[in-house]
Amino acid sequence: MRTLRLGPVVGVAAIALVAVAVPVLPLSNPTAMDIMHRLAPPSAAHWLGQDGYGRDVLSRLLWGARSSLGVAVAAAGLACVIGTGLGLIGGYLGRGAEFLTMRSMDIVLCFPPLVLALLVITLLGPGTATLIPLLALVYLPGFVRVAYAGVLSVRNQNYVEAMRVLGAGRARIMLRTILPNIGGPILVQFSLAIAAAILLESGLSFLGLGVVPPAPSWGGMIAAARATMAQAPLLLLWPCLALSGTVLLFNALCDAVRDAVDPQRVPRRRGAARVLDALAPGLVAAGGPVLDLCGLTIEIDTPAGTVCPVRDVSLQVHSGEILAVVGESGSGKSLSGLALMGLLPPAARVAAGAAWIEGQEVLRLDEAALRRIRGRRVAMIFQDPHHSLDPVHRIGAQVAEAIRAHRPVSARAARSQAVELLRQVGISDPERRAAAFPHELSGGMLQRVMIAIGIANGPRLLIADEVTTALDVTIQAQVIALLADLRRARGMGLLLITHNLALVSEVADRIAVMYAGEIVEQGSAAALLARPLHPYTQALLRSAPGEDGSLPEAIQGTVPSPQARPAGCAFAPRCTYRRPDCETAPPPLVDAGGEHLTRCIRWYEVAASVRSAETVA
Amino acid sequence: MSPLLVAEGLGRDFAARGWFTRPRPVRAVADVSLSVARGEAIGLVGESGSGKSTLGRLLLGMLAPTSGRVLVDGQDLARLLPSDLRRLRRRMQLVFQDPYSSLDPRRRVGAQIGDGIAIHRLVPAAEREARVAALLAMVGLEAAHGARYPHEFSGGQRQRIGIARALATGPDLLVADEPVSALDVSVQAQVLRLLADLRARLGLGLLFISHDLAVVRSLCDRVMVLYLGRVMEEGPAAEVLRAPHHPYTRALLSAVPSLDPQHRRQRILLAGEPPSPADPPSGCVFRTRCPWVLPACATAVPPLRPVGDGHRSACIRSDIGEAGPLVAQRLHDNTTRQHEQERAE
Ligand SMILES: Nc1ncnc2c1ncn2[C@@H]1O[C@H](COP(=O)(O)OP(=O)(O)OP(=O)(O)O)[C@@H](O)[C@H]1O
Ligand code: SF4
Ligand code: SF4
Ligand SMILES: [Mg+2]
Repeated sequence: MRTLRLGPVVGVAAIALVAVAVPVLPLSNPTAMDIMHRLAPPSAAHWLGQDGYGRDVLSRLLWGARSSLGVAVAAAGLACVIGTGLGLIGGYLGRGAEFLTMRSMDIVLCFPPLVLALLVITLLGPGTATLIPLLALVYLPGFVRVAYAGVLSVRNQNYVEAMRVLGAGRARIMLRTILPNIGGPILVQFSLAIAAAILLESGLSFLGLGVVPPAPSWGGMIAAARATMAQAPLLLLWPCLALSGTVLLFNALCDAVRDAVDPQRVPRRRGAARVLDALAPGLVAAGGPVLDLCGLTIEIDTPAGTVCPVRDVSLQVHSGEILAVVGESGSGKSLSGLALMGLLPPAARVAAGAAWIEGQEVLRLDEAALRRIRGRRVAMIFQDPHHSLDPVHRIGAQVAEAIRAHRPVSARAARSQAVELLRQVGISDPERRAAAFPHELSGGMLQRVMIAIGIANGPRLLIADEVTTALDVTIQAQVIALLADLRRARGMGLLLITHNLALVSEVADRIAVMYAGEIVEQGSAAALLARPLHPYTQALLRSAPGEDGSLPEAIQGTVPSPQARPAGCAFAPRCTYRRPDCETAPPPLVDAGGEHLTRCIRWYEVAASVRSAETVA
Repeated sequence: MSPLLVAEGLGRDFAARGWFTRPRPVRAVADVSLSVARGEAIGLVGESGSGKSTLGRLLLGMLAPTSGRVLVDGQDLARLLPSDLRRLRRRMQLVFQDPYSSLDPRRRVGAQIGDGIAIHRLVPAAEREARVAALLAMVGLEAAHGARYPHEFSGGQRQRIGIARALATGPDLLVADEPVSALDVSVQAQVLRLLADLRARLGLGLLFISHDLAVVRSLCDRVMVLYLGRVMEEGPAAEVLRAPHHPYTRALLSAVPSLDPQHRRQRILLAGEPPSPADPPSGCVFRTRCPWVLPACATAVPPLRPVGDGHRSACIRSDIGEAGPLVAQRLHDNTTRQHEQERAE
């Protein structure tokens, strides 16, 4: 459990304490009249003055809190317990239970709350004993629906299935697994119900149907003050303040509780301003590579301080070339790609560096200028095509939309170009498939559609981030072959981001290996695969399943988190070549010859070990 | 040794709901027979939608078969009372593919690992913590990790936690449903080694589901290749991968990327995607994508026939060794067109 925000807790606790302690507080009798001093202004004996019958306003206000809160909390609590129970049963136990609970709630919902209240009170007479079950009934459907909807979204999760596989009974699954996971929305509903119950109770008391006068209640006080509004306007103010203040406090409390019980709550983000300085003249790259990225450094503000998930990354991609960026999850490769598109998440910002795409610097562009470039000069394709496509539009229309976002073509022309693009990405029968919705196509097919959208405006640079990770091996091979063909046919630069070195080894021209936010090795694919010069690359190569059917060798340990980077070489804790001097200072990226870069001070030992392994073989 | 688990002629249909069309059943698994012995590792391979997970759930008794039966120690799962089935769950456990959604985000991982122990009252409550610590150690984590929440772990660590949870009840059989395909290659190796080690140490029967033949080869004794819910080929892992008989197995194997340029095979790029299981092709279900298809392939479902020692294949041809994929590709284009025409008519 995280820390609970203190403000709302203290506020609600104070109100609750007062409501509970009212009988023992030194207050005057809330129903004792003093006609002589009716409507008297505040005085030392009566801090908030006296009402139309000369009764002490403060005392009535606090006793009113007791009755309002008591009724509201009891009613909301009753509704919460019964409603959550019914929702769980309806959602988890199947058809029959579902029908009974949900339909009976629909019947309750047919009556407007006020009509229902008037009906019940007419039958049973006013008073607290009627109010509590009545308000509980009014707010019951809300709880049932929230709980039911929660169960529906949770019950097919793998962790619920895991409990079934373990042999857990239904009661255990409902109480231990499902209930905690739907607790957040139920708490919110609870706050809403208390606040609404306070209001409805006050309304009914205002009408004389709730708490029976002369017993004090906020609604009754408002009703009485209305009659003397002209002479004593303050009398109206106190109960109204009490009412709205309490309702607000309850809402704030429940927000705080919901945040606190969520173990993976995202800390509030601070707005990130761009802090990049302008480039010094003379630094401007012209001509040359499609992408020239220099010294990209990204910072993220976290509650524990600023971390640096990408540091000093420099890359170049030439037209018609495939550069594969390989690294484990968390190595910063996605963030680097997103930075080039100007799509960093709000918490992250570019702290240093420059990136030229066809000679134009893109890290310093504003949003409008970025939009003109995105899709046109540089496009990006993501891992999960299901989340990248709009489920309610036909895929042909989505491709056409991408074309029209950048080019003034007629809808007709865009449609026929879209069909042509679908054909180019290897979708058979594109005329018919263009009319399909995303859910009608398989993952591999959708990824082809995403590629069609990516190349729709002839970008010079295509960034593909883990585009095959969600696909079958057979489809992976197809998609990689397609990307390689397209880059050749269109002469674009392709930045292929992946964790799977083997997958890109056959198509990449050059490979950059990233580890813990830094490039640790970069070189031509042939050289890097045959003679890795960094222990991490070597370990990666060994961790791929071997041709001989032996078990792959695992790299011990895990990637350090950006919060806990080692002082020296980031790979040192897992490195078999480690020596004491590796841990003193971060090793620089050095050229080992032939544009083969490595961030290891013992690269020659690594090279020697490869050579000796070859002589043995 | 008597097998731990035997499946006979297992099949499962799902009712497909169509709004305007006549509903037709989707045959997710058809006529699968297999047995798993104690300590044996069987690999189940196929593309997405080939029925691997359904088969895994059928074998665990999480799903009722529409035909055939599953015997665990000679008892038919379908005939057990629900309470007996729950008790039997102790002996058969599942490891999920997605290490993120398979752990309850709101409970500490130690409590989740202890669930199985609590449900089956395996050790007194006082000793449960020590047992959880032992399980964490078994999968290479520290006891202190038990007090953390799932989101504090990386994918590979979460998968270890999932494995520890499955091991908590002391199962004889572990069904691992794509346990490494959501993980980075470098982390896959760790989890594969862990599974291999546990299998050797605890004598676990292992049903390892994957779409990646390379991963299966290093871990399994036998493999079974599924396509559209049907068994295409099965046999000893080394044998099947060295000399695959069925065209589908060959295609799968050739799609595996290789780091070693000398081992790079001629790739059989399968065109298109598997057909819909609601509307499988007649005869051999693979014929719409098979580079070696013959007219005879459309007439009858090829039976699984022996092609080696314990090695069976459901392909009618035995003469494929020489025919190059290029020739085959042309053949294939013709038949795809043919099939699409048939369907259009
Ligand atoms: N919005 C964010 N808030 C805080 N940290 C973040 C955020 N986005 C990314 N990070 C951190 O930045 C680091 C690098 O993230 P990035 O997604 O670029 O890695 P990756 O190599 O692409 O990983 P994956 O393969 O999982 O996508 C990680 O440690 C991650 O925790
Ligand atoms: S610098 Fe040292 S610790 Fe780092 S990779 Fe090289 S040998 Fe290993
Ligand atoms: S039976 Fe025919 S279609 Fe099926 S795999 Fe064999 S050759 Fe191909
Ligand atoms: Mg990523």
